[in-house]
Amino acid sequence: MPESIKVGLVLSGGGAKGAYQVGVLKALLEMGTRVDVVAGASIGALNAAVLASAPSLETGVERLDELWLTLAKSSPLSVKIPGYLSLLVSAGLKMNGFAQLEALFRAARLVAQRAGLQLPEELNQLDAGALCDKPLKELMEQYLDPVALNKGLPLYVSVFKSLGGTTDLLRTITAELGILGTAESEFLHIQSLSQAEQKEALLASAGIPLLFAPRQVNDSLYSDGGQGGWQKQQGNTPITPLLQAGCNMVIVTHLSNGSLWSRHDFPEATILEIRPQSSIARDSGFLGGVKDLLGFDPHKIPSWIEQGYQDTLHCVGRVMKASASRSELRKSENELKDSERRNTISDSILADAMSKMT
Amino acid sequence: MNEMLPITKDSDICRVLTCLPEKFVVDFANGIDVARDHQRVQRANTGFGARLYDGFTGKGKRRQDEVNASLIDGMEASLTWLTELSGSLAQSNLAIARVNDRVNALKLDVARIANFSAITRQQLETLTTRLDEHLDTLGREAARIDFVQRVQLNLDQVFNKWRAGHYQSFSLSGRCYAALEELRWGAFGDYCRNTSATDRQRFMDDLANRAMAQLASDAGLSSKERMGTRDHWLIRPVGQHVLSDASDALAYMGDWSDRESVPFVFSVSQLPDDLPRELPRLSSAQRVAEAMVYEVLGDNSHA
Repeated sequence: MPESIKVGLVLSGGGAKGAYQVGVLKALLEMGTRVDVVAGASIGALNAAVLASAPSLETGVERLDELWLTLAKSSPLSVKIPGYLSLLVSAGLKMNGFAQLEALFRAARLVAQRAGLQLPEELNQLDAGALCDKPLKELMEQYLDPVALNKGLPLYVSVFKSLGGTTDLLRTITAELGILGTAESEFLHIQSLSQAEQKEALLASAGIPLLFAPRQVNDSLYSDGGQGGWQKQQGNTPITPLLQAGCNMVIVTHLSNGSLWSRHDFPEATILEIRPQSSIARDSGFLGGVKDLLGFDPHKIPSWIEQGYQDTLHCVGRVMKASASRSELRKSENELKDSERRNTISDSILADAMSKMT
Repeated sequence: MNEMLPITKDSDICRVLTCLPEKFVVDFANGIDVARDHQRVQRANTGFGARLYDGFTGKGKRRQDEVNASLIDGMEASLTWLTELSGSLAQSNLAIARVNDRVNALKLDVARIANFSAITRQQLETLTTRLDEHLDTLGREAARIDFVQRVQLNLDQVFNKWRAGHYQSFSLSGRCYAALEELRWGAFGDYCRNTSATDRQRFMDDLANRAMAQLASDAGLSSKERMGTRDHWLIRPVGQHVLSDASDALAYMGDWSDRESVPFVFSVSQLPDDLPRELPRLSSAQRVAEAMVYEVLGDNSHA
């Protein structure tokens, strides 16, 4: 009998490139793949939460598609605010220092009025709610329903115990330079937390250090889970809780080119990675990665969705193709054995008939 | 080749993950995409700054380690798969060999059946021929028996007729001649003309005996007792029962006869005034019967 399968899905972090995961999920849905447990880091945690809150995988994918296309249609460029930040704020995060920034702009407007100067239109629009896209916020509130989440797929999120925004950033930079690694991220089972803590944990997982304040869960301050185990992407690719939950097949999505997360660190697990088959970066040049991360150009979102879709068909399809050929081989071997068994019977009947001729 | 065709959601291979794929197969197939992802980044990072950064951070080495590990996984998986495939191929070859053996055995069996069939056909043909011959023989025998039966009936009819007195209008020898003529034109004559000489002789002897007995009975003599030929055996009866044209009928029946070769028949049918020299002047019933049988039905007869 074939071994029963429990499929885990890892949605890694990558900012606005999280749209890629919508395409991945679309393809997995079309291919009939089931998902039993889901884990996410950063934007992956938010995507995973929307998915886990949905009554079915199909609905979850539809909601994510709607959410990301809404973000793509919004005009954050008009206020020069990246879409990813808008998404995070819509989800409930508050940016550090925004109050001071807002006061600064208000003072600037006052001075400009008195001096008879005209400030750019975008600055006039800036107020406390400018970062929060209203339709997006409504969708987030609707799709991150705590009641539905508790009934949904088991969800794990990756969070990083924060020592303060600046310290966290410095630790990440030293880890990126290969000098010192960051501490490992922790994985929280969302459904095991209280409703209040659930949202905090989700926001903590997605909260970019410095820009967003750490969130308090279980008496600890947590921020973006993608920071933990930086060099091996341990926090950004939360497979560990899925393996502990008994998943024997894990699909891992990556949101960066050449992610250094290694499947070889989990030699016992059957892992299917969805990696970009062409560059996932859309912005080149200095700070191009940051722009992609923050989603300065939301119009790139559909291209990431399409890429995720095509890459999944390619990566999963390749495995399925190989697996199917082995399955066919096994099947043909069994057919051969059955055929030979039948031959033995016919041989006996023929021999009996031939013996009567002599 | 299939490898080059893009995989779409409609591809047959994209089926529900209903059973767990083998780990080494997943590592093997998926490892190619992993290695290619790293290789693409490696190729992109060719600038001095990028190389320096990758070297400094150790990313370059770690990336190469990942590529190497994927390649090793791939080779191990290839070896595993190849080993299994070779085993499977060996099994298939053995199965083909067994199929060949079976086909050969089947050919031999078919050849045996073909030979058996050919022999059976020959035997059937022989049997048919023999049966035909046998049936033919049986047919001929049945026809012969039927013929003999008709001959016997013919004999019985003629001699019953004789005993019943239907030939009373003729002389004693004329009765014998009339009976013999009737037999000659009946089944008896046909039989004698178509059968073997031996058989004919046997029937003619029997006929002669019957005629001799009936003549002796009509004459009231023993079969060997001799009487004058003209005044006893050839003398015509008289009386009311005698048909007036009896002599003409005998003359008509015996118009083929001549005095030298068939003197008895000539004398009986033509009633010459001077009897042939070959005709004995004294004759017994045996002599008259035998002579007339062989003159009417013998080799020298006119038939």
